[in-house]
Amino acid sequence: MTHVIEHPLEHVRPRHGGPAVEVADLHRSYGSFEAVRGISFEVHPGEVFALLGVNGAGKTSALEVVEGLAAPDGGSVQVLGGDPRRDHAAVRPYLGVLLQSSGLPGDLTVREAVAAWAGTLTAPRPVDEALAQVDMAGRADVRVRSLSGGERRRVDLALALLGRPRVLVLDEPTTGLDPESRRTVWSLIHDLVDGGTAVVLTTHHLEEAEELADRIAVLRAGRIVLEGTPAEIAETQPATIRFSLAPDAPPLPVLPGVQVLAPAPDVELQTRALQPALTALLAWAGESDVLLAGLQARAASLEQAFLAVADDTPSTTV
Amino acid sequence: MTTTTPTTFPAAAAQAGPGRARRTLALARAEVRLFLRNRTAVVNSVLLPLLLVATVPALGLGGDTIAVGPQLLVTAIGVTLIFLTYYNLLTTFVSRREELVLQRMRTGELTEAEVVLGIAVPTLLVTAGQIAIVAAGIAVLGEWSAPVDVVLPVLALVGGGALMLVLAAASTAFTRTAESAQITALPLLVISTGLCGLFVPLSALPEQLATVARFLPLTPIVELSQLGLAGRTWRGDAVDLAGAWSTAVVPLAVLGGWLVVGTVLARRGFRWTPRR
Repeated sequence: MTHVIEHPLEHVRPRHGGPAVEVADLHRSYGSFEAVRGISFEVHPGEVFALLGVNGAGKTSALEVVEGLAAPDGGSVQVLGGDPRRDHAAVRPYLGVLLQSSGLPGDLTVREAVAAWAGTLTAPRPVDEALAQVDMAGRADVRVRSLSGGERRRVDLALALLGRPRVLVLDEPTTGLDPESRRTVWSLIHDLVDGGTAVVLTTHHLEEAEELADRIAVLRAGRIVLEGTPAEIAETQPATIRFSLAPDAPPLPVLPGVQVLAPAPDVELQTRALQPALTALLAWAGESDVLLAGLQARAASLEQAFLAVADDTPSTTV
Repeated sequence: MTTTTPTTFPAAAAQAGPGRARRTLALARAEVRLFLRNRTAVVNSVLLPLLLVATVPALGLGGDTIAVGPQLLVTAIGVTLIFLTYYNLLTTFVSRREELVLQRMRTGELTEAEVVLGIAVPTLLVTAGQIAIVAAGIAVLGEWSAPVDVVLPVLALVGGGALMLVLAAASTAFTRTAESAQITALPLLVISTGLCGLFVPLSALPEQLATVARFLPLTPIVELSQLGLAGRTWRGDAVDLAGAWSTAVVPLAVLGGWLVVGTVLARRGFRWTPRR
């Protein structure tokens, strides 16, 4: 069946310039356990927002409300100005969802499964285009049962993108993908975002968050403990300087704003002002004619910042 | 197909979509395709009603006053609805759930009711097909006799199909796997079927037990079919058209009541995700 539907999105301008997703003071509980304890965030068109957190931090529980699969126990979620549950018919044509895990009947071929899903959507992409997007065109006539895990994940993604969503919710989109497929998915997401799609994603891969996310929120025990751009989040942790000193080297001078984590011979320093600290260190080394063997100076990574706040140990919030 | 006109959100989407019927049919077509790929299921679906028809000559030996053809069709309606429609729908819903297919279906434009109905379509079609095969078989064997009324059996079939659908949906609440349906379906399969009047006539039961039996879910379906097709009440009295309808009030009310109860239970109890 051919679809000559003029895409409605071209005409719909939900609140010009407003956020595509608005989450305000969201709470979700399972019995007496509070999985999500009052989180708020906004995602704008053309923006990628990543929710990070260890398992059980509440990422999926929060996303299920955005996806319209669960009702909030407190607070509110709006997608393009509508409630994803109450305004199901109005919101769904613009919402693409990739669940952390979901199935397809194994006895359908990839093409049949995608075509069936297309038949339920307002303005689907052509099936061949959808399959090509995720590099599955060559596997179109294979039964779903015979696909590898990574191939299934790519079909999942094709289905999430099939309705040309304006808001895309991706729960761990590249889990189980090989590095090459992961790159393909990343560039696909970049293209969609360039086209104005708003993306909310969760991931376990910090490099994925670094690559894709415009803004990141780190969730711990149902609360956002850190939020900002990847660079802002990395900056919450001090930079590190490492080098080794010969046994006969003179003692290190006191450097301004530097904390010594490990003394000679294998020195490790931490500082929030990397450049002045490094300048002072190099000046001292030059004057004292000291060799700083294996010198490394590194700004904090997103991973360090994440590890510092994501686990259950108490930490300072920013 | 349709051209959408410029509108503002959120009023936009409701009119733009493919429509309930088209969405549900798209899902139903895929489900029918899946059913047709399951050779065993297809062969069984045709063989079962033929076996039932094959028993006609054996039953005919009795030669008593009850017409064999209509009675066999009543049996086909009752047996098919409970053993095929209810049981098959329950296992289908549960296995789709365990395959995580149901949760995915909920992420699109399909509403929850459309997902349930779309998945049920092959089973409902096979139900209708099997009963049609039995009816045709009876006609071929020359055992057919004109029904007293056709509306009552049609109500029994349609209402019964809908009831099996909601009861199967409700039963997913306490059915963990497709295999455990063999246990969880037993109450309805054994008790309700045993006391529906098909295997033991209600008139042969003690009065109080018969009264209770008439309020079980399968009984009104059998009663209504029997009134219309054979012109017989649950007590075994012969009735004409007027008599059939006046006797049908109670089973119609019981069937309607079960439909309401079943729908409420299904809405509350239907489980979309595997229990973890």
